Amino acid sequence: MKAYLAYLSKRLVQFAVVVFVGINITYLVTHMTPINPVEQSISAATTYGATSPEAIEMMRQSLRQLYGLEGTPWEQYVSFWKRVLVGDFGPSLSAFPTPVSQLILRALPWTVGLLLVSTLLTWVLGNLLGGLAGYYRNSRVLKAFGVLSMGIHPIPYYVVAFVLLIIFGFLWPILPISGGATMASDRSNTFAFALDVVVHSILPVLSLMAVGIGGWFMGMRALVSNIVTEDYVVYAELAGVKRGKILRSYVMRNALGPQVTGLALQLGAIFNGAIITEQVFGYPGVGSLLISAVHAGDYSLVLGITTVSIVAVSATVLLIDLLYPLIDPRVEAR
Amino acid sequence: MNTFRIFRDLFRYNGEFAIGLMLVLIVLAVAACSFFSPYPPMDVYVVPPDVPPSWEYPLGTTSRGQDVFWQLTVAIRNTLLFGIVVAALSRVISLLVGLISGYKGGWVDRVLMSINDTFVVVPLFPILVLFYFIMRDQMTWAMLAVITALLGWAYDARLIRSIAMSLRTREFTRQAVFSGMSTGKIVLQEHLPFVLPIVFSTTMNNINWSIGIEVTLSVLGFTDINTPTIGGMIYWANQHTALVSGIWWWITFPVLLVIMLFIGLFLLAISMNEYIDPRSRLSRLGGQA
Amino acid sequence: MIADLRSIPSSVELRAPQAAPLLSVDRLKAYYKVKLFGIDREVRAVDDVSLKINRNEIYGLAGESSSGKSSLIKTIAGAIRPPLRVVEGSVRFSFKDGERDIYKLSPQELSAIRWSHLSYIMQGSMSVLNPVRRIKHAFADFALPHVAAKGADFTHLVEGHLKRLHLDPAVLQAYPHELSGGMRQRVTIALATICSPEFIIADEPTTALDVIVQKGVLAMIREIQQEFGSSVLFVTHDMAVHANLTDRLGIMYAGRLVEEGRTRDVFKRPLHPYTAHLISSLPRIGDEAPKKALEGSPPSLADPPPGCRFHPRCPLAIDICRREAPPMVELLPGHRTACHVAQADPARVRPVA
Repeated sequence: MKAYLAYLSKRLVQFAVVVFVGINITYLVTHMTPINPVEQSISAATTYGATSPEAIEMMRQSLRQLYGLEGTPWEQYVSFWKRVLVGDFGPSLSAFPTPVSQLILRALPWTVGLLLVSTLLTWVLGNLLGGLAGYYRNSRVLKAFGVLSMGIHPIPYYVVAFVLLIIFGFLWPILPISGGATMASDRSNTFAFALDVVVHSILPVLSLMAVGIGGWFMGMRALVSNIVTEDYVVYAELAGVKRGKILRSYVMRNALGPQVTGLALQLGAIFNGAIITEQVFGYPGVGSLLISAVHAGDYSLVLGITTVSIVAVSATVLLIDLLYPLIDPRVEAR
Repeated sequence: MNTFRIFRDLFRYNGEFAIGLMLVLIVLAVAACSFFSPYPPMDVYVVPPDVPPSWEYPLGTTSRGQDVFWQLTVAIRNTLLFGIVVAALSRVISLLVGLISGYKGGWVDRVLMSINDTFVVVPLFPILVLFYFIMRDQMTWAMLAVITALLGWAYDARLIRSIAMSLRTREFTRQAVFSGMSTGKIVLQEHLPFVLPIVFSTTMNNINWSIGIEVTLSVLGFTDINTPTIGGMIYWANQHTALVSGIWWWITFPVLLVIMLFIGLFLLAISMNEYIDPRSRLSRLGGQA
Repeated sequence: MIADLRSIPSSVELRAPQAAPLLSVDRLKAYYKVKLFGIDREVRAVDDVSLKINRNEIYGLAGESSSGKSSLIKTIAGAIRPPLRVVEGSVRFSFKDGERDIYKLSPQELSAIRWSHLSYIMQGSMSVLNPVRRIKHAFADFALPHVAAKGADFTHLVEGHLKRLHLDPAVLQAYPHELSGGMRQRVTIALATICSPEFIIADEPTTALDVIVQKGVLAMIREIQQEFGSSVLFVTHDMAVHANLTDRLGIMYAGRLVEEGRTRDVFKRPLHPYTAHLISSLPRIGDEAPKKALEGSPPSLADPPPGCRFHPRCPLAIDICRREAPPMVELLPGHRTACHVAQADPARVRPVA
């Protein structure tokens, strides 16, 4: 218990450092650039329609406040943090006067759902197949799968999503290639709606899986081929413990820890991938929102999404870290 | 001479290395062709638009009146150069952080690794987008390279640190310390040679990563879209809805070429890793036995 | 004709099964066959070894680190993996419920006798327990398939066994990293003996333990052996441990058994120059004479010297030693050796000062 508390406090400190450094980077980006962000935003926002001079002046005022350009640098910095801590990023400029937080909250479930389903499927499937490939080294099917997933693995998310879009949108159009659900769908019929959502998520999930699965597969295969030479595996084999049992409780079980740590380290990159994938398939999540906010010159929304994604990803990493002792009892060893 | 022999052996006995090297050489050859391009790369409407692949235009022409092949040669050159510049810059940071952290240990290590882990965990893409959002037209090719390098060093710094840590406890380091060598000199003269092979393999992966970032940002139009790159080509093709109007060659060839590059570099990286890591070399030997 | 002759002893065995040795190793040859850079290599790790181990005895096996003793016990346990292969000979056990030839069993039959009849205490006990699961799971995985008890009965069985070995049943709830090295080794021994096996192979179980803990572990093995009446094949290079623990002793050198006899006899009257050297290198209280090291190093098993494998290092070597491998001959009652010199005149072999 004492060891766990020490571990817990270490992880909490790391979480605080990540959020602190991450948010400071966004502050630096917005404040240390030679560009005047207020004029930038106004010119970007006004290109999408004529706006009266009074409205522009109002916008300039609220933007100066929003960017925290009032007062001394220290006051600017403090007020920036205050807004971040309460999660108040002001109204969206492109969907005025809807608050940024509301827009993000609306998009978040789509992204979380997409990420959760694809990451879990990728991780479980990749590790399972990789573990089997490491244990049964002569399986031709698993070798072929290894070559295939290794081939797709180095290709960035955007390109894979794009290739899937070409295949299923133009060459063999059997799946919806855009949106999170059919626009005019009847949302009162829960089952039909759920099915519609699932069908729409197939391609985004598939492209996230295609890129991600190779990494877990290769990592697990390498881990397992090292673990099978460990004394505790050799001893269990000597004792005549069944092969299936050895694979599950000895080999895979011991490879689980490193792969969970790997998941925590990969989460940021997976999140990046989800943003791109959403954009390709017009999925109504945070990623699409971010990119349309950039195009619309919506500063508050861009800042809000950046901050929320930093906090959300590091909080998930913290959660994984806190659950880690359930997988590996040797917590103080880390 | 010795290096040459290593490469020859790798090429002969390691299929992954051979395929990877071949793919990268093909891509390099295409990039080299850019110096013989008959058209200035930025010019548009120099050839008839929307011509499918033919003898005259082997990879067809774009809706903007550019020859896809010659455009591709310049684009892949710029994209490759971007990857190499980012990888070189970020190598400097990750080497510095990794070696100092691993060698110094103690609180220096703790602070550096805390920052390092932050860069590993934080989703970098939104931050890059934020950069573009603030900089807009001032976001040049070179600036993007510097920013990407500043964000993309952390993963490899941790790897280098772990090697430096194992080197620190070895006998020859202690001897160097007792003979009065300075920290900097020990790190540069004694440890760098051990770290360089792993740096080579991470360089390949880092080039891949940064090219992925560049392609993604350009496709979204979040870079200097007037410098021809692979991502920029796809961006313009999307702007002209090339797929819907059936100009498939505008999209297919850049995508294929960049995939060749990704797979090639990746295969080089993993075969190098295998060469470096004696354990996997042993298992390879055992596999043949 | 020969087949007829052989059928007689087997009927004798049926009448008096207790008289038959529990383990008979007959002319066993087990080689590593490796193909390296296109060249076939053969490492003769176990070369023509015959030995018998009786019921209710502790048989010690001694030898240097590359003498082939690890390969021999792996082969006896039926736990060899390529590239190690049995080339010739047999390993037979006469368990209470019948005779088994290890290399004629199906994998299922082999699994069935493991732990219930034939058990193993492995070298490197620090890492033989699965680090991420509690000790109780190891007991369940290893023993549950071999006992009739299930559920709570099984837990009682395990707890009773631990208590009998003076271990706190609370260790079942612990993870391996929470136990000390000596404790882990005791738990491993308890794990190996939970099914009261007739034959236990102990591979360097006390190496890497400090002397006090070592003593406790040895006492524990002795106690278990006496209580269950099982036979133990105890392997260590530590001659002092053999002197204290084992009933009979076999000495291995370069893949061959060179001497075998009752431990007391072997220590009192070594019949092989190599054994004589091993014994004289043991420290004795009051003995201040410097120990003479043996010249040279043990031969490579891939390319052993002709004749007696010990002859390049043997102070007594004569001409025939360089040409002919000496057979194993019983010179004194129950005391065999493979040495031309001793076979000519046993008195010539004596511990070097």
